[in-house]
Amino acid sequence: MAAVSEQTPSVKEARTPLAIRAEKLTKEFRLTHQPYSSLKGLLLSFLPRRVEHIVALNAISFTVHKGETVAIIGQNGSGKSTLLGLIARVYRPTSGRLEVYGRVAPLLELGAGFHPDLTGLENIYFNGVILGLTRKQISERLEAIIRFAELENYIDAPVRTYSSGMLMRLGFAVAAHVDADILLVDEVLAVGDAHFQQKCYRKIREFQQEGRTILFVSHDMDAVRQIAPRALWLDKGILRADGDSDTVVTQYLASTG
Amino acid sequence: MCTLIAELWHYRELLWTLVIRELRVRYKNSVLGFFWSLVNPLVTVLVMTIVFKYVMGMRIANYSAYVLTAYLPWTFFQFALLDSSQTILVYMQVIKKIYFPRALLPLATTLANFIHFVLAMGVLLLYLYLYVGTPLQWGLLLVPLVMLAELLMVMGLSLIVACWNAFYEDVKYLVSVGLQLLFFLSPIIYFSEQVHHMSLLPDAYREPIFWAYHLLNPMATYAMAYRKLILPPITVVQQNPGLSAPPVQFPDMPLPYWLLGVNLLMAVSVSLLGLLYFRRKEWDFVERP
Ligand SMILES: Nc1ncnc2c1ncn2[C@@H]1O[C@H](COP(=O)(O)OP(=O)(O)OP(=O)(O)O)[C@@H](O)[C@H]1O
Ligand SMILES: [Mg+2]
Repeated sequence: MAAVSEQTPSVKEARTPLAIRAEKLTKEFRLTHQPYSSLKGLLLSFLPRRVEHIVALNAISFTVHKGETVAIIGQNGSGKSTLLGLIARVYRPTSGRLEVYGRVAPLLELGAGFHPDLTGLENIYFNGVILGLTRKQISERLEAIIRFAELENYIDAPVRTYSSGMLMRLGFAVAAHVDADILLVDEVLAVGDAHFQQKCYRKIREFQQEGRTILFVSHDMDAVRQIAPRALWLDKGILRADGDSDTVVTQYLASTG
Repeated sequence: MCTLIAELWHYRELLWTLVIRELRVRYKNSVLGFFWSLVNPLVTVLVMTIVFKYVMGMRIANYSAYVLTAYLPWTFFQFALLDSSQTILVYMQVIKKIYFPRALLPLATTLANFIHFVLAMGVLLLYLYLYVGTPLQWGLLLVPLVMLAELLMVMGLSLIVACWNAFYEDVKYLVSVGLQLLFFLSPIIYFSEQVHHMSLLPDAYREPIFWAYHLLNPMATYAMAYRKLILPPITVVQQNPGLSAPPVQFPDMPLPYWLLGVNLLMAVSVSLLGLLYFRRKEWDFVERP
């Protein structure tokens, strides 16, 4: 009996390769209560002071296989963005292991990576290159990106004239066209209008069919249930539940009550 | 070290895009773009020339050419360091979203400033040879090497300054104060010969410390190198206005060529040091609150 239950996951692993494996993944931030970013802070730092260690993620273990869509839910400050940051290699784990296979494309947050004085077009190049494309590849996809963002008439205007929804569209359009193996979406879709949100969800479906891996952070439980078959629930840095999204969402909602 | 350089090479497209972006942002919103940024050094040098010719009594033909050849490399040094000290903070939002070698940010800022410097030097040389009629000299062939050495040194320093400023935002004020001091301690508005002269005076007036320091200050040796490689030797003559005493003469000192070797060696080591230091710290400043 025990042998069978042990065998089932390994058969699954053989079928679809791993995309992400986290083992006892822990991330701690140090939070000092003096202004850290000034020389005064440096001088004061020779005095004994209170340094708080914030455990943003506490010994989390899970695996994600290629082609899966996994939602990450939890209250504010529970470590969702930190987890995506670790996967995007922005932070280094404090302890534990994290393996990520394939190219990662985070959907850059509103305006991050956009220079307000540059035009939409110039920003597409910058964003695309940061996400790992060559300039040539971007030129080839330029038309598709602009068409997807529906910004044909504004592409030569500086992005400081864009609305937040337009910025989000541009960001999503670029991230959607970089051929990433793993797409990280951190609750940015909320600012799009209904029409564009639908379009994004359709695009996400398309990614799912193409067998790409998607990690999706959202506070919109309906969207979570619709898009992701599986959900991780983070609670103050601890992985409270990992499983079928309907079940996990129900548990989560029950706990917040 | 090798993996570090290989990684930077792998991301060269991004480096190039950052450089282009930097130049675009700088020259945006102005029709004359590049030419406006030439106006600043030209006006500064014009003012310096007037002050030094008529107030301080420097009697030198073409004084402004000698100042410009030292001042343009200086502005590159100055603005590259000042701009680099800001880059990490400017790009913080992107840094917190996705990984790329963060060393690219100060490197790109430095390169953008370098491209600007190369263009400005080009304009200066055209002016000197086509308009002023300065004689061509062999030393000119060494100028690209000196520029390259300066680039390497500035890259290394930029990495360090960028890193520090990401932790302590006061660093950029310290840097700008330090730059101002260094400006007056480098032979840009005056000549190395004048400093050297102080170490040759009779015992009571001798100040050898300045000359020793002068040789240790890389910006002093760069200023000396550019001047002597580009322009013909000159005897500096200084006359205090209104005084009947004979003017002081400072005969030309030939460029010690070993200095170029020292500069190059130092540039290479500073740039490697900067890269390694940045590498050690780059994971800390991402977590900066
Ligand atoms: N750079 C940092 N320095 C110190 N503490 C940090 C840093 N980044 C995050 N934290 C802390 O880590 C914890 C988790 O933050 P995180 O941004 O991952 O939460 P989240 O789940 O994304 O929340 P939200 O739903 O509000 O987006 C928080 O307590 C936060 O204060
Ligand atoms: Mg978050």
